Amino acid sequence: MNIGLELASYNHCIPQMQSHGSRGTRLGWLALLLLAIVLLPQNLSASALTDAARQLAHKIAAVTGPGAVALEITNRSSLDDRSVNEVRTALEGQLRGEGVRTAKPDESVGSAQVTLSENLREYVWAAEIVVGQDERRVVLVSLPRPQTGGAPASAMPVVLRRTFLFAQEQPILDAALVEMPAGSRLLLLDADRVAVYHQQSGRWELESALPILHARTMPRDLRGRLLLRRDHLFDAYLPGTICRSSAAPPPAVACNDSDEPWPLTADDGSVRASFTPARNFFTGAFSPPIGKVANGPSFYSAAALPRSGYTLWALAAVDGSVHLLDGMTDQVIRNVRWGSDLAVIHSNCGTGTQLLVSQSGDPSEDSLRAFDIPDRDPVTASAPIEFDGPIVALWSESNSTNAIAIVKREDTGWYEAYRISAACGS
Amino acid sequence: MRRIVFLLLAAASLLGTAPGATRPRYGGTLRVMMQAAPNTLEIPAAGTPSDYWNLARILAMVTDTLVTLDAAGHIEPGLATTWQSEMNGKRWQFTLRHGVRFHDGSSASAAVIAKILGDLHPDWGVHASADTLTIETDSISPSLPAELALPRNAILRRNSDGIPIGTGPFRVAEFQPGRHLKLAASEDRWAGRPFVDVVEIDLGRALRDQAIALELNKVDVIEASPQSGTNSARIGTSLQVELMALVFPPNTRAQDARLRDALALTINRKPIQSGLLRGAGEPTAAILPNWMSGYNAVFPVQANVQRARAVLADSRQPALTLNYDPRDPQAQLIADRIALNAREAGITVQVSLSGSPDVSLVRIVLPSSDPATSLREAAQALGLNAPILRSSSVDDLYPAERALLDGHSVIPLFHLPLASAVSARVHNWNPERGGGWNLADVWLEAP
Repeated sequence: MNIGLELASYNHCIPQMQSHGSRGTRLGWLALLLLAIVLLPQNLSASALTDAARQLAHKIAAVTGPGAVALEITNRSSLDDRSVNEVRTALEGQLRGEGVRTAKPDESVGSAQVTLSENLREYVWAAEIVVGQDERRVVLVSLPRPQTGGAPASAMPVVLRRTFLFAQEQPILDAALVEMPAGSRLLLLDADRVAVYHQQSGRWELESALPILHARTMPRDLRGRLLLRRDHLFDAYLPGTICRSSAAPPPAVACNDSDEPWPLTADDGSVRASFTPARNFFTGAFSPPIGKVANGPSFYSAAALPRSGYTLWALAAVDGSVHLLDGMTDQVIRNVRWGSDLAVIHSNCGTGTQLLVSQSGDPSEDSLRAFDIPDRDPVTASAPIEFDGPIVALWSESNSTNAIAIVKREDTGWYEAYRISAACGS
Repeated sequence: MRRIVFLLLAAASLLGTAPGATRPRYGGTLRVMMQAAPNTLEIPAAGTPSDYWNLARILAMVTDTLVTLDAAGHIEPGLATTWQSEMNGKRWQFTLRHGVRFHDGSSASAAVIAKILGDLHPDWGVHASADTLTIETDSISPSLPAELALPRNAILRRNSDGIPIGTGPFRVAEFQPGRHLKLAASEDRWAGRPFVDVVEIDLGRALRDQAIALELNKVDVIEASPQSGTNSARIGTSLQVELMALVFPPNTRAQDARLRDALALTINRKPIQSGLLRGAGEPTAAILPNWMSGYNAVFPVQANVQRARAVLADSRQPALTLNYDPRDPQAQLIADRIALNAREAGITVQVSLSGSPDVSLVRIVLPSSDPATSLREAAQALGLNAPILRSSSVDDLYPAERALLDGHSVIPLFHLPLASAVSARVHNWNPERGGGWNLADVWLEAP
């Protein structure tokens, strides 16, 4: 949708029509997607606008009959100048074709005042027509409005990069990229299924959809985790439900009601934590314990930072604090004001392993930033990378080299999956 | 030096980020105030617009409807997941959500829902079969889903005390008529348990009291005047969902259409809107707001006293009595201004609350984002004949609305929005643009 300046306008266009410019750059096949999303509707709309203008002209001509008419067009909609000019051209052309000539008021037998307006669903164009001493007549046409459908460099040790993977209207809980001999596959976990996509001509095409059947009511802030496995394709964890894929083709998935704890990393021997089935957080019970700690605070997310001889666990607690567990002590950091989603990401820079942290909680934008924890105090390791909406899920990928971030775009309400990777900065 | 700058930047990034950056948090009590002081929890037959919105918001917390509408009038699933019409819109079939239960544990089956809707609409044929509900009407009803989305069609049963038992995100825990309502989270809600544990609603609180309570941090969600500003809170304004208009009753002395036409031409709406309404709303000469219809430009709002005098010509016209709703804080001032405007064209209008009025200043609700449904509801509220509508297309709407306004039995004046404000500890505050509050998705910052 191309939105621009109004012409003569004395009431405001509907605010929802204002476009939100994309801030990110998209690569590869994304360019095709953008072409499809942005340019195609524009082209379609040009044709639709012209057709509607001709339709309106036909209705005007039916009232005025052949002759000279003063035509005035006022734009009170979100159409831009170019579109209005297209409408004007089509309108005048069709009127001419039906024997109606546009002229100055003093040279005309009647007038047609056209107002280009809109409601929340459609453009509405009205023509108020007066011919001679006759009563004012109003004719209308309407046409659907198109649906409105988005890195900084850094002097920090780490540069975060995001790669757009996929977007859909339904909430995405987690995503995973799998390299297979037959080509890459993208797995997407949502509330009802695991969708498997394969790449074809630069686009992800749906290959199969594996339904997730469960008896329980899912919580309002639904979360889910997709973990790739060695002996079968994946395990999917949802609150109160665990699903396991088949080991051999054709792909299938079997789900069971289960309160089994979720693995906090992809390792087979990973620490697991109990997830509250009707809520959106982990209870804080670990299995096996982290060193001597079997019970920590309730937390939203956890990240494992390998250290020489032990693992330092960072937990984003439900109360907003961050806990660092080393198996012996529980250090609480209260003043960081981080978001509630943490993940670990490996790079060859800084300490080699960074903590990836969501930031704002602002519904219109959010960002990710990397931190090093050389000792026990976090040090900023990257500039933030920004997103056009809140980050609703952040998980380390199974190899922990990259992470997956799911963003809910503020302008469209759609969910976008990104792969987050790290490179060395200056 | 560069290292110092880096460390300062690093420290700033740790400490200076926006607060409250967490996932939705479960728990806590949401404190709400409302103007309405209902004795029963049902949509009032003859209340103020404020009474309507307050009860609609309460029922939306406790109950569900079969479907809902978004701001653009698109149908969205509620207790029904799919729907289709047959016989040119005379028969509608709804597939119901599986396993939904009322707050008392009983099943919200198709048979139960059919009974509830059948009792509400004896003229409908409502039939249940397995998970399917069929509704048949005598005339074509393209807007039936919009009708079903209205709060009066909420799917609920009532206990012996008249307390509604629904399937919504909250159940009624305690009700002190006219004073207080306590709602508790429904743990088994089909769309997931709401984030807050309890909603405490203080009823019968004036707007001014609500604003003071918000300033003192004694409440989390209040109604607000669209024009007012509250520094410590976030304010949300809806689309224009109310109409202020002049209505002539059947026994008015203004039987001469020229007098009503002339009165309409004298009213200078813009200064009233910018002054008395403090910029809220939009002057209008139409029943439906432009965001619903899109054609309001063809209903001119400019005053034209000269033309009003010409319309009256030398006719002798009676003096008119104008009354208003004394519960509406702005109504008297607006009525006085209308009387003043009328005088410029030689029309005598006396503002009075006593006696039989010749014209009334009213404020009505436009309850649906479906324009056909709102036009029907508005016509009923304004005492006009029901419009004949086959669809919500502008080709049907415009002539129907024009017909309602011909004869000037009603003079539309302003379309008005609703406003609400919340405290800083409220997160995920996304009031519906049609006036609803959607408190099930709200969560509270940790204490």
